[in-house]
Amino acid sequence: MSTLGAFGQTYKAPRTADGDPNLNGIWQAMNTANWDLAPHAAHAGSIVALGAAGAEAAGIGVVEGGEIPYLAEALAKKKENAANWVKLDPEVKCYLPGIPRATYMPFPFQIVQSKNRILFSYEYASAARVVNMGKPTKAPDHFWMGWSNGHWEGETLVIDVTNFNDETWFDRAGDFHSDALHVVERYTAISPDALMYEAQIEDPKTFSRPWNISMPLYRHLEKNAQLLEFKCVEFVEELMYGHLRKKASP
Amino acid sequence: MKHRLRCWPLLVAVACGAGAIHAQTAASPAAKSDWKVPRMPDGHPDFQGLWTNATNKPLERPKELGAKEFYTPEEMVEVNKKGYLGERAFQPEAHYDFSQYGMDALQAKFAPNFRTSLIVGPEGRIPPMTPEGAKRNADRAAAAKGHEFDGPENRSLLERCLVFGDQEGPPMLPPMYNNNMEIVQAPGTVAIFNEMIHDVRLLPTDGRPHVAGSVRLWRGDSRAQWDGDTLAIDTTNFTSKTPFHGSSENLHVVERMTRTSQETILYQFTVDDPHTWTKAWSAELVMGPAEGELYEFACHEGNHGLPDNLKAARLQEQKATGGTK
Repeated sequence: MSTLGAFGQTYKAPRTADGDPNLNGIWQAMNTANWDLAPHAAHAGSIVALGAAGAEAAGIGVVEGGEIPYLAEALAKKKENAANWVKLDPEVKCYLPGIPRATYMPFPFQIVQSKNRILFSYEYASAARVVNMGKPTKAPDHFWMGWSNGHWEGETLVIDVTNFNDETWFDRAGDFHSDALHVVERYTAISPDALMYEAQIEDPKTFSRPWNISMPLYRHLEKNAQLLEFKCVEFVEELMYGHLRKKASP
Repeated sequence: MKHRLRCWPLLVAVACGAGAIHAQTAASPAAKSDWKVPRMPDGHPDFQGLWTNATNKPLERPKELGAKEFYTPEEMVEVNKKGYLGERAFQPEAHYDFSQYGMDALQAKFAPNFRTSLIVGPEGRIPPMTPEGAKRNADRAAAAKGHEFDGPENRSLLERCLVFGDQEGPPMLPPMYNNNMEIVQAPGTVAIFNEMIHDVRLLPTDGRPHVAGSVRLWRGDSRAQWDGDTLAIDTTNFTSKTPFHGSSENLHVVERMTRTSQETILYQFTVDDPHTWTKAWSAELVMGPAEGELYEFACHEGNHGLPDNLKAARLQEQKATGGTK
């Protein structure tokens, strides 16, 4: 990947007691990638009652080269997903977001960094994963959040994420993947309060070649910043199970 | 040898041996005298790793034991034969055998604990409720009666995949299975990742105050501080949706975690809620090392139980009224 140079790779992060770049903190993306990874103009939302509050904000896009290299059949499915996103997007049902989507959802996440284990705790849906920094381990199964093995390459935390299921999406625009997804994430501090996040996305069942996204992540600087709860399961019960409710007696 | 308590090799003498052991705390530490608390680079104790809080002891002491707070080593041998769920391990009216789901702790490892109940003190039981607490719980039970299958919010928190019953806590008590947690530490933060239901407690140790009282949280708002080598955790800001043995949103939980040997963490808690109980009460258990990794418990994503239960109730109603649709 070559984007980092443009953002200034000369910065050297403070070290942890173990000598690794210190990425501890509460971070959040500040973009509209969760609406659409690709460049997009603003447009009206799907819920009429929400008016401007429900509309989609524009974004310059986070895909390097601007285009996701879908295979022809997969592109048709992406378009179908986009046309039916309210019905089909796993986010609407409060399902675990997968990687990389967890990184740029409109919620903060916290990194708790130790020498051999690095915990990523996401506010959205209490999603979490622990990155193994020791000898890489093999996953016994497929998971919503994948299976994460990490290592340091100089200033950069590199995380190899495998063993996804095929249930998560990348955004509300219907961008999706199969269970052959393989994500290589790179986190590099570019200033005391910003990280550059890059992810290489590979899935030969869905894309014609690997492709990359990149975006800065910003540190929450407010005093006593902390993750709160977004246990959205409760918020989707009416949507998912409302039709099974006991009807009031006539 | 399915029905044999398994013990960690280093703890065999304590957990399974019949030798005379003086038991005045939950676990007589098997620590060798040269054992030292492992420490993080910042000097605080290192709790990191995978732990289980599985236990074969009930929260409340069986009444027939009276004020007897500890078993003798000889009695422990008999107690350990009964396993974790005891008679609850198999419920004939249910369609499954809990042991199929790893819910019988004879299938799980747990740390030795000579206590007769997790609740400490001569009473060994949850204190009586205040009139206010008793009325609130009676009203709640009366309102729920006959409406158990009306809608999703009538089902248990566990079945709804919101939090794992009142075991997820705090205070953290062992759920039926997957009693696992991973602790990761960084300067200023201790994180406890509970497998059930994939939830992380992020505990700041920097002395900050609790969030505003208007922010109510399913698992409360926790602050930690180091009291010597003990991690003391103070939690408030609960909701009324997660009653812990009948508590109100005013529940106040103080937990204390102390690394007592290479293989054990002593976990103690005191709960107080003047709107519920006539006095505060305390309990303790011993956490031991868990094997393997923490795996993803994607509960909501695969929740067929909740909609199926509601569907079944609607079908039964149709049948009862002879309705055609």
